[in-house]
This record gives sequence, structure tokens and C-alpha cells, in this order.
Amino acid sequence: MKTSRMPSMGRRQFMQTSAAAGALGLAAPGRLALAQSASPVNLHTWSAAVDTVKSHLTAFEEHTGIPVNYGNSPWAQYREGMVTKFVGGAPLDMMWVSDAWLPEWAEAGWIAPVDDFDFLMKYNAEAEDFCTNSMTYDGRQYGLTYYTDFMAFLYDEEKLKEAGFDAPPETWDEVVEQSLVMKEKGIAEYPMMLAMAQESWLIEFMSALVYSHGGRFVDDNGDAIMQHEGNGAVEALRWVVDGVRKHGIISPACVETGELSGLKAFASGNHAFALVAKYRLRMLNDPEQSQVAGNVKQAMMPMGSNGAHDTVGWMRFHGMSAQAAADQQRAENTAKLIEWFGGKADGEYKFQKLLFLDIGAGFGVKPLFEDPEIRAAYDAYGDVDMIQKQQAQARKKDVITPWFGEWSETNGSAWQSAILGNVDPKAALEKSAELWAELKSEY
Amino acid sequence: MSTAQPQPRAVTGADYRRRQTIAAWTRTGVILVSSVVLLFYVLAPVAWLVSSSIQTEAEIVSVPPHWIPEEPTLQNFRAIFKATEEEEVTYENRSGVDPAAGGFIPSTAQNLLPAMWNSFLVATLVVIFNLLVGVPAAYAMAKIRYWGRNGSVYFILITRVIPDIALVVPFFLVIRKLGLLDTISSLVITYLAITVPFTVFILIQYFEGLPDELDKAARVDGCSRLQSLLRVFLPLSLPSLVAVVLFTFLTSWNEFLLALMFTQTEASQTLPILLASFTSDFTISFSFINAAGVLAIIPPVIVAILFERYIVSGLTAGAVKG
Repeated sequence: MKTSRMPSMGRRQFMQTSAAAGALGLAAPGRLALAQSASPVNLHTWSAAVDTVKSHLTAFEEHTGIPVNYGNSPWAQYREGMVTKFVGGAPLDMMWVSDAWLPEWAEAGWIAPVDDFDFLMKYNAEAEDFCTNSMTYDGRQYGLTYYTDFMAFLYDEEKLKEAGFDAPPETWDEVVEQSLVMKEKGIAEYPMMLAMAQESWLIEFMSALVYSHGGRFVDDNGDAIMQHEGNGAVEALRWVVDGVRKHGIISPACVETGELSGLKAFASGNHAFALVAKYRLRMLNDPEQSQVAGNVKQAMMPMGSNGAHDTVGWMRFHGMSAQAAADQQRAENTAKLIEWFGGKADGEYKFQKLLFLDIGAGFGVKPLFEDPEIRAAYDAYGDVDMIQKQQAQARKKDVITPWFGEWSETNGSAWQSAILGNVDPKAALEKSAELWAELKSEY
Repeated sequence: MSTAQPQPRAVTGADYRRRQTIAAWTRTGVILVSSVVLLFYVLAPVAWLVSSSIQTEAEIVSVPPHWIPEEPTLQNFRAIFKATEEEEVTYENRSGVDPAAGGFIPSTAQNLLPAMWNSFLVATLVVIFNLLVGVPAAYAMAKIRYWGRNGSVYFILITRVIPDIALVVPFFLVIRKLGLLDTISSLVITYLAITVPFTVFILIQYFEGLPDELDKAARVDGCSRLQSLLRVFLPLSLPSLVAVVLFTFLTSWNEFLLALMFTQTEASQTLPILLASFTSDFTISFSFINAAGVLAIIPPVIVAILFERYIVSGLTAGAVKG
């Protein structure tokens, strides 16, 4: 048999050559990237308003000469990704932080307070109180507002008129009353849309219901008061349970309905009332995206018997990493970038305004309500005065603590259990309060 | 009073044939109906994906759903394929539209094709390196008797028992130390760690099924180990090699967790990450994300169709020894 001779190479030599070539080839891009960088600020966000962020960064780099490395990750996995980056020591200076993660990230020492920078703190004077409160943990402030919003009560004006009502409900009792008429007239099978599935939105829905019933989950000392009659939470849960089981105005499937599914159902014209984030108003009145465009209006949050028109507000903020804070120059540059985004850039709240105009995200500074461009944009799909009035009555979530994640799951299940009729509302909240007390003592 | 007892009728040949025909028709009918149901079950989600990708957002949420779009539009695909030169984003040229704004094309739509290219590049490199590493390793373990051979096979298998999530932080530290964060090299290295054990395992099983005599004959004829592998074993291992190529390509194409951790800009982000980024904290555009989904499934479907006839024989390679 004739065989051609192949070039010979010993096994050991082959292994050595391969390893060296592989290491060189794979490490080269990283080395090159390192060589090109010159102490930039590392900014990481989730993938929202990417072009708006980039345009504002371009202006920042031109204005200050400080380069910025900008990266982003999907929103749904952002927190997990950031935790890995913190633990793995990835270069991070500024990042977006949700108010819900603040206790965890602050306790872990991943983010640092920014209240030593006076040029950042001066913006608190014009910020909504609930925004400043939401960025504060253990007496220290950790950033400036990226965007904010609140839970709004929306209604379909056409359905309301069809049912013979001239004005939206003022109280939760009136919601029941109007819904029953709509149900009877066949206008909607379940006039009220509530999304009570176990997801990150659930605490916002529950808080809005509790606050508007004049209550709170915990008192100023952080002790549970949710289980007591007359403190709002029991009344709020009882209203939901009655809405599902007694009046049939809320779908029993609400325990499996997420915020987005609920929104799409409302956009399809299946409901007359909805509890959704205020910024959804824009989408709901857009004919490209909604079957009920033009009919969706906002009313003040209905009141419970002992309540007011209060609602829950939430926010995301620009925070500084602890590794940036540890280096004076990095901290200074990062604080400048935080101001550029969360405060004024070239004398105006440029980024918050752009964010609102581009994607409809709410702002946390009161002067922007007087901006003519913003008023005009709001008026295209909503009532700016109503929005301002409701935002003024927004309050921060009172349950955001290091043990919030653990408690939230049990609390959500307790509410769902009551809605499904498996347990009395008061008993459900007693269980929640019990766990709260237990976790608080453990932490 | 006498009553006439009915006599059982003798089964004639005609009856038997009629029963046979009925049974055959029934069997055919059941198979046909089951096939249609199964086909609908499998194809309906894909059909909806394609249909909704050319619907407007308002039409998608209409009740009842429109399987055939009333106002078909290609705007999602136009946004993806819109060729733009890479330029600095300023206030003036920013897209300024995101799903919540009513223009429901995310501003990152144009990153979809670069992300597909990144995915393709990563998947192809992983396939090539898998073959370069896995084939010689499997050949050695299958055909060369050495001390610790069984141990090394089990050790390779054990590495697949560790869940990927447990490897994220250690991988992250290694990648950071190498200075490879936000590069496609980071994905190639880590995907190899995941796929090579499977490749080696599949190929060992297949090589062991080939007679040792082939190896010995090749050696007697003057082949080196490498020549024996390249000239004798590889041509006989086509089904298992195809299975390996498919497995590694699809695993790399779809991988999400590690890509999420190691990439952060469009320079390295792969398709699953970009698709996930279309779901923002504000909203989600079903029509756009479905259009992106249509494009995302095309390459794996093409690969699967091309190699379809080898898939089953490759995956069952070595399952039963003769």
C-alpha cells in the first residue's frame, strides 16, 4: 500500500504549539482593548432607550473630555448579571439601580452613597419627595433619578358613557357600582383589570391598593401593621376578594395575569378600568398599539373608606459603584456623569426630558411639569395636570428592605390564596405579618 | 308457541374483506387525524410567529387573533435590514423611538444582523475547535489502552453534571483575568468547556463501535495514529460527526446565560441577548420581537434540514453494540 508521507510533529510539540497559539489568539483582543482605554468611566445599564443614552453620552464626552465605556444587558436578567459583575470584580463605575435592589446592593457594599457630593445633593430641592426617599437607605442617598412613575387608575371613557356614567369613580365602592352596571349591560365581562400574578409588579399593585385605602404595610419603625383591621391592607385585600368572588367584576384569572398581559387585555378593549403604570397611558392611546386608543383617560386613584387618592410611586436611579467611590478621581468623574444624567446638563434636566419625549418615561423633578414641550407631549395622550396631581400623592414602597425578596413571595401567595377563596383576607395578612416580623428579627 | 332462534350467520369471505377494509380505513383515519393534530401542535406556534411578525402591534392584540394579517406590514423587517453606516449617536440623529413611544421598533433593531453574525461566528468557531479537540481525544480514549483511561472518560462525563449556573462566577473571574470581557473569544472559550465533553462522549461511543482490526490494519500498513484517525476512522464516522456539529452549533447559537454575563456591547452580544433586550422595563413589542424571532430560527432550521438524515443515526451512535 502506497502512502504519502505527512509532515511529522511529535505529540508534545503539537500540544505546546497549539496551547501557545490558542492563548495568543484568544488573549489578543482583550490586550488590545486594554491598551486602547484611557481611564474611562464604565457605565452599565439595562437595554432601554439605548439611542437616547448614547446621544447624551456623546454630549458628555464632548463637554467634559471624559470617555465613557457604555454597556447594557436585557432588563429581565439585569440584576443577576450585575450581581455576577459585582462579585467578579468587573470594572463598573456607574449603573442603573432599581429602588427594589437598593437595600441588597447597599448592604453588600456594591454601591456607594453619593451624598458627599454637594453638587448632586442640590437637586433634591426640586425632586419629588418619594424619589429622594426611594434612593435613601439607612440615612444615606445613593443616586439621582433616572426615571420614575406611579400606579395610575385608568378608565375607558367610551365604556363609561355607554354604561350611563358621566364621571369616573371617586371611590373603590363606586368602582364596584359602575362595574356592576357594565356587567349587567354586557359592556364587559370583567370591567376591572387587576394583574395579581407573582411577578415584580405585584408589590406595586398591592401598595397602590393599600395606600388608597389609607393604609401601609409597615409603620415608621418598620414593624408590620398590615394585619390589623383599619390599617388599610385588610380592607384593600377584602375589596379585591369581593371583586372576584362576590361581585364578579374582576376575573379570577387575575392571579395568573401579569402586568403586560393585563395591559394588552385592556388595550384589546376587554376591560373598562385598569390599574397600570402611568406611562402605559401613552401606549394605550396610540392607535398603532391599542384598540381603545383615544378613549383611555386617567382619574385620581379611587379612595377606600379611610383613604385618600394616594398611590405608590417607584423609581430607578443612577448609582455609583463602591469600587469607583474608593478612588477619588474615578468617584469625581462618575459623580459628574451621574449629574449629567440625573441632574442638569448644560443648565437643564436634559436627560429626564429626552427620556420622557423619546419613550414616555416619567421624570422625578417638578420643574419639568412646567416645560412647554413636555406639557404639549403629555397633552397629546393624557391630562398633564391630572398626572402632576397624582404624582404629588405618590409614596415610596414601604416594604423595601433586605428581606423584601423573601417576604414578597410569601405575601404574594397569601394575597393570591385569599383571592382564590382558600383563606380569609385577615388570616392571609396575618401570615404575611408573621413572616415579616420573623425576617426582620433575623436580619 | 314456538320461537325461531336466530341462527348465527356464517362469516363469509366478503364480510372478512369488508371488515379488513373498515379496519384499514379506521387505522388510516386515526393516523391521519393524529398526524394533523400533531402537525398543528408543532407548527401552530411557528405559524403564529411568522404571521404576527408581519402584523401591526394593534392587530396582534385584537380578539379573536388574526392568523392571516388583515393589514400585513414589513416595517419590522425593514428596520432590521435598514443599512446604516456606523456613526456617532447625537441628539440630532438618535432614533428617539422605543416601543412605549408608539413607534414600536426598538432603537437597537439595527444591531440584530451584527448580533446574528456574532452568533454565527461563535457557533462556527466552537464547532471547529470542538472537532479539533474532540476527535483526537475521543480516538485516543477509544482506541489506545492506557492507564486511567476509564477514569478519564468518567471525569469528562462528570464535568457535564455541574450546572452551568455554578460555573458562571469562576468562568467570569477567568475571563476577566484574561482581559476578555465583552469579546467573542470569551464565549468561544466557555462554550468549548461545555460542549467538548459531550463531543468526546459521543465520538468515543462511535469509535468504540468500529472494529479494532481496522486500526491495526492501518498501523500494519504504515499509518501513524494521526493518519489512522484521519484516513480510516473519520470517513466512517460521518453520522456522529454531523451530530456533534449540530449539537455544538445549536448549543452555541442558543446559549444565553454565559453570553449575558460576558458581553455588554454590540461588538460581542449574540442573538439571544439582543432578542432579550427587546423586552425592556417599559414594554415589549410583540410584532417586532416576533420578526426578530423569525430571523433567529432560520439558520438553525437550515442546518437541521441539511443534516436531518444523519441526526438520529448520529445521536444513537454506539447506543447498542453489535
